[in-house]
Parts: sequence; C-alpha cells; structure tokens
Amino acid sequence: MQNLVFLLILLLLSACATPKPSTDAFTSAEEALETAVQAGAEEHSPVELRFAREKLAEAHKGMEYKQFDKAIYLIDQSEINSELALEKTRAAIVRGKVTDLARENEILREDFESTYGEDFK
Amino acid sequence: MNRTVVILAVSRILALAALAVLLAACATAPKKDLALEQVKSQLQELQADEALAGYAPLALGEAKRALRQAETASGDKTYRIHLIYMADRRIQIARASAQYEQMEAEFDRLEEERSAMLVRSSKLEAKRARLEAEQARMISAARVEDANRAREEAQQASSREEESARNAYQAREEAEAAKALAVSSATAAELSRREADLATEQADSLRRQLENLQLRQTESGVVVTLGDVLFETGQSGLKKEAQSSLVEVVDLLQSQPDHKIRIEGHTDSTGDVMANLKLSEQRANKVMDSLVALGVDPVRVTAAGMGEDFPIASNDTEEGRSQNRRVDVILLDD
Repeated sequence: MQNLVFLLILLLLSACATPKPSTDAFTSAEEALETAVQAGAEEHSPVELRFAREKLAEAHKGMEYKQFDKAIYLIDQSEINSELALEKTRAAIVRGKVTDLARENEILREDFESTYGEDFK
Repeated sequence: MNRTVVILAVSRILALAALAVLLAACATAPKKDLALEQVKSQLQELQADEALAGYAPLALGEAKRALRQAETASGDKTYRIHLIYMADRRIQIARASAQYEQMEAEFDRLEEERSAMLVRSSKLEAKRARLEAEQARMISAARVEDANRAREEAQQASSREEESARNAYQAREEAEAAKALAVSSATAAELSRREADLATEQADSLRRQLENLQLRQTESGVVVTLGDVLFETGQSGLKKEAQSSLVEVVDLLQSQPDHKIRIEGHTDSTGDVMANLKLSEQRANKVMDSLVALGVDPVRVTAAGMGEDFPIASNDTEEGRSQNRRVDVILLDD
C-alpha cells in the first residue's frame, strides 16, 4: 500500500521536479532522534520515538525512489516527533521526580506529625 | 498518546485521501478541512487549560505560527497536510513543554515545602529539647530544694532537740538551784535566826556578866570579882540576885575543870581591921559554899579572908571603897 503511494508520489513528482533534501537535514533529524533517545524517550515517549524512526526510514526510502519532496516532509516530521519525544520525556521525568518528592514529603509530614502532633500542623 | 496515534492514523488517512484527490485532478483545496479544524480545536483546548496557562509561551507561539502557516498555505495539498501535521506536533510540543515547566514549578514548590517542614521540625525539636532541658532543670532544682529543705528540717529538728535538751537541763539546773536556794535560804534563815538568837543570848549573858562579873587576868590566873553589891551591907549573906551571877561563875569555872580555885574576901579600910578580916573570911567561905552547892568540886576550892590589905582602888572615895569591898574568885594557872 505504502509502496504504491510512494510510487504514485514518485510518478507525480517526476512531472514537477523538486530539489533534493540536503544531507544537513538528515543529520539534524538524526541528531534530534539521538538526543531524544539519550534523554530516555525509549521509556517515556516510545510512540513518538517510533514515529520519528519510521518517518526517518521513510525519508531514506523516498530518497531511494527519488521522491525528494516527500522525503523533505518526512525528515521534518521525523525531527518534530523527536522533538516532541524529548519534550514529553523531560516532562515525564520531572513528573516522576515530582511524584517521588510529593510521596517523600507526605512520609516526612506523617513522621513529623506523629512526632510533634498538633504543633506541626 | 492514544490521541496522537488516532491523529496520526487520521492524518495518514487524510493524507491518502488528499493524495487521491490530488491524483484525481489538480483541483483546489476544499474550504472545509476537518484535519485543520481538529488541530485548531486542540490549540484552543491547550490555551483553555488553566493548569498550564502561562507556561512555555515560546513553544505556544511556535505552535500558533505553525497553525497559521497551515491555514494560510495554498496550492499543494501534500504540503498543506504536512503543515497541518507539523502544527499538530507543535501544539503537542507546546503542551509537553508547558507540562514540563509546570512540573518543574511543582518540584520547586515541593522542595520548598520539604525544607520548610525540616525547618519547622528542627524548631520544634529545639523547642522540645528546650522544654525537656527546662523540665530537667526544674526537676533538679526541685530535688535540690527538697534536699535543702530536708537538711534544714534536720537542722531545725536537731537544734530544737538541742534547745529542748538545753532547756530541760537549764530548767533542771534552775529547779535545783531554786531548791538549793530554798534550802540554803531556809538554812540561812534558820542559821541567821539561830545566830541572832545566840547573839542575843550571848549579848544578854555578856551584859549580865559585864554587869555582875568583873574579869581580870592576873599572874595567878583569871580573877572574877564579885562586887559588894551582891552582899548585904556589913553582912556575909548573899543577896537573892547574886544567885544568877554565881551560876555564871560556876559555868566559867566548870569550863576549866582541871584548874584549882581560890576564893579571897576583901574589904575597904573603914572600920576595925580585925572585924574587916573576919567579915572578908566569912564572905569568902559563903561564896565557896554557894559554888560547891552549885556543883563545883570542893577539892578544887580553897577560901581565905584577906581583910583590908589588898585594895584594887583608892579608899579615899566612895566609888573606890565600893570597888575594894569584894570577893575574888581566882581560876589558878596551876
């Protein structure tokens, strides 16, 4: 199905020529993906990370089929998914820290309340 | 994330639809675009989220810009779909970014809360320690006070004991002293009374002696002179009053029982010498008889008439002659 789509796109694009995406665009997308992985996106934002990878893979395929227009969009979409994955990962990590700290504070509060009673409230 | 998947699926379907449309003819984009409407409503939803309001303004700005770009894009449908997709991602990024910042703020708040609790607990701990120290101090002060009180009470008790012992001793001493004083004063009173009595007696007897007896120490011994007042004038008989004087003379004589006694009768120079001698002898014998009658041993006593030859005063005056008329009782010194 997708191959068919690419084929159609390829046919379409062959009519009106578009410039090839720069290698810098690929590098940028790959770096964004790597940053997200390093931040912990595999754990905290696996769906967006998968999109980023798939889109990057499709972009490479598009290059093979000379569908440059499509490849440019896919590179952008891959990169923005990496960016979202990174942002979600950061948020998830800090949310985890917040949850932990809130629990610790609660334990601490209970501890102090049992030690000092009404004075602590 | 499910939404993302759905959106992705939808967008993929839309992309395919768009492609189909594109392939069908190079027609213009339809006025109504469901995908775009959906993305717009997502942005509105994010902006309406009060919990996230104010966070990640930059990311939100980029999302708005991306959406505007998608809205204003003309021509190529693939490009428009791409821009809608990018706008959707930008909105998701803005949401995640806002959530991140909100969580960071929440984390900071929790850390502040934590340190506030720690500060409060350390203050309470200090307060508690202070109270405990205060209590401990009060307890120890109370103990010291108790000890002091006990010591004071002990001291008071012992001093009371000492005092009562002292008082008892003093009372006893005083009682004894009082008793002794009473006894001694009674004794003294008795004594003084007796002494007074004795003194009176002695004074009386001395007075009588001085009245009736004239004592003289001579070479022979103590001489008691019985004056002529004791005798009836010109006679040898003793007056009644002479008896008491004689008793005293006997007392004197009996106080020296080993000494011999000589009784001498004397007269003044008036009258016949021989008559005077005889009278003196008679008076001496009379006194000797009286003394023996009063209990003097007769063996101790000798009597003699000495006449007018041994005067003790002048015969020229009546007073002198009176002194010369006498009987001497001599207690001889062996």
